[in-house]
Formats: sequence, structure tokens, C-alpha cells
Amino acid sequence: MTTALPSRSERRAQIVQTVVEKTGVDEDMVRRVVHAFYAKVRLDPHIGPIFARVIGQDWDPHLVKMCDFWSSVMLMSGRYKGNPMVAHLRLKSVRPDHFERWLELFRQTASEICPPEAAVAFVMRADNIASSLQLAMFYRPAERLQANSAQHGVT
Amino acid sequence: MTYVVTEACIKCKYMDCVEVCPVDCFYEGENMLVIHPDECIDCGVCEPECPAEAIKPDSELGLEQWLTRNAEYAKKWPNIATKGIPPRDAATWDGVPSKFPEHFSEQPGSSHNESKPRAA
Repeated sequence: MTTALPSRSERRAQIVQTVVEKTGVDEDMVRRVVHAFYAKVRLDPHIGPIFARVIGQDWDPHLVKMCDFWSSVMLMSGRYKGNPMVAHLRLKSVRPDHFERWLELFRQTASEICPPEAAVAFVMRADNIASSLQLAMFYRPAERLQANSAQHGVT
Repeated sequence: MTYVVTEACIKCKYMDCVEVCPVDCFYEGENMLVIHPDECIDCGVCEPECPAEAIKPDSELGLEQWLTRNAEYAKKWPNIATKGIPPRDAATWDGVPSKFPEHFSEQPGSSHNESKPRAA
């Protein structure tokens, strides 16, 4: 007798179920985090002006897009399909300190809205994604080599 | 940081990862997929999704060769944005060790998906 493998929809439902049980993240929490976060961003003197230049008056569609993005990342919904790497590479005035501020506001928002496990899950994803975007935008081979060496314990 | 597709994908090619990837950074070979390291945003959604456990973060030790192969073939193979049909015998290759030397194919895949424009 062989046990049939679960179908991919069953597998995905199980993975999402585990995330929900471990962290409490659901679609409503995603929406609340995204809306509260961008409310902070828009008022922030450091990064608000960058978003104002790029988003302009189109905040409603941007918020829908960001809810789709975070739903895809946190709950594997597959709702977002886009190329954030290319979108960020176009932003020539963005510097690493802008990412630091972005992350600071994101951490604040997550801790205000989510239970601790969910906040950790959101922030972990945000950290990784921000690092990845920054590597693409501010890539410096020597620094990257150093970072890799440090990570792998090579001196 | 990026995620990489490793040997375990060869001849399994389930393609579940393609459905959840928010940035469509998978590229299709004849019998495996790779991730474009410059397009992956390191969100990690694909990793638990792979039934063959073929997707790993590049921070894991010993994946340098696979990172190089992912980068190389992502430039040669077509983008895959929609899951195709996995090989009929996928399950029989699941978990088979050392598939690369004899079974890896350099040929591009042909699930006939719409390809996206490449990043500049």
C-alpha cells in the first residue's frame, strides 16, 4: 500500500494553516498592518516625501497592491504578481538610511498591531526583502564578500 | 541573499513554487527550474512550497555551485510565470540522490508560458 501524496492545494492549505496557527496572521491583519504602516510612512519627514513623489495621488491602488503583496508573502495567496526589484532600481534618490527608516516604521507598526509571533513573522520577511532590494540597489562587491565571509565564519 | 533551486528539483519539477512566487523569478529548463538571483526578493514563500524540498536559501553552506548554476541558466532559459504539467514520473525521482551528473538537462523548458520582459 502506498499513501497518496497530498495534492498541491492540500499541501498549501496545510502550510498556510500552520502559519495561521503559529502566528495568528490572517488577511484582516495583513490589511491592518499595511494601512497603518503607510499612514505612518506618509507622515514621516524622512521617507514620506519619497513616497509622495512616486505615488502622488494614487494611494488607494498602491494600498491594494501592497495588501496583495503582503498577503502573497505572509499567506501564500499568490495575489501579487509584479517586479518590485525593477521598480526600486528606478528610484535613484533612495539611500540605505531610507531603508533603515522604512524598517523602523514597519517594526513599530507590526508591534503595535500584531501579537508578538505575528510581528516577528512580518518583520523577518520585511528584513529579508529590504536586504535583498538593497543588495540590488547599492551592490558593492567588496562589502558583499565581507558579509558572506562573516556569515560563513570565514575570516 | 536569494533562494536557489538545487539538485532535488531535477526530473521532479513540480512547479508549485511558480504559483506562489510574487515576483515571477523562476526560469524553466527541460527538467528543472532555477531562480534568477537578481530578481528574487528573498521572501521565502517558495521554500516550504516545494514538495521535493529543492529550494534553499543561499546562506546555507555548500550551495555555491547551485547559486552559480541558477544565475547561469536563469539567463539562458525562459521565464515561467504559470505552473505547467509536472513530469508523469516526478514522484519516482523525488528524493533520488546525485541526479545532477547524469540527469540534468541544459535544454530550455517548454511549458509555453508567457515570458515577462527581462529586467534591465
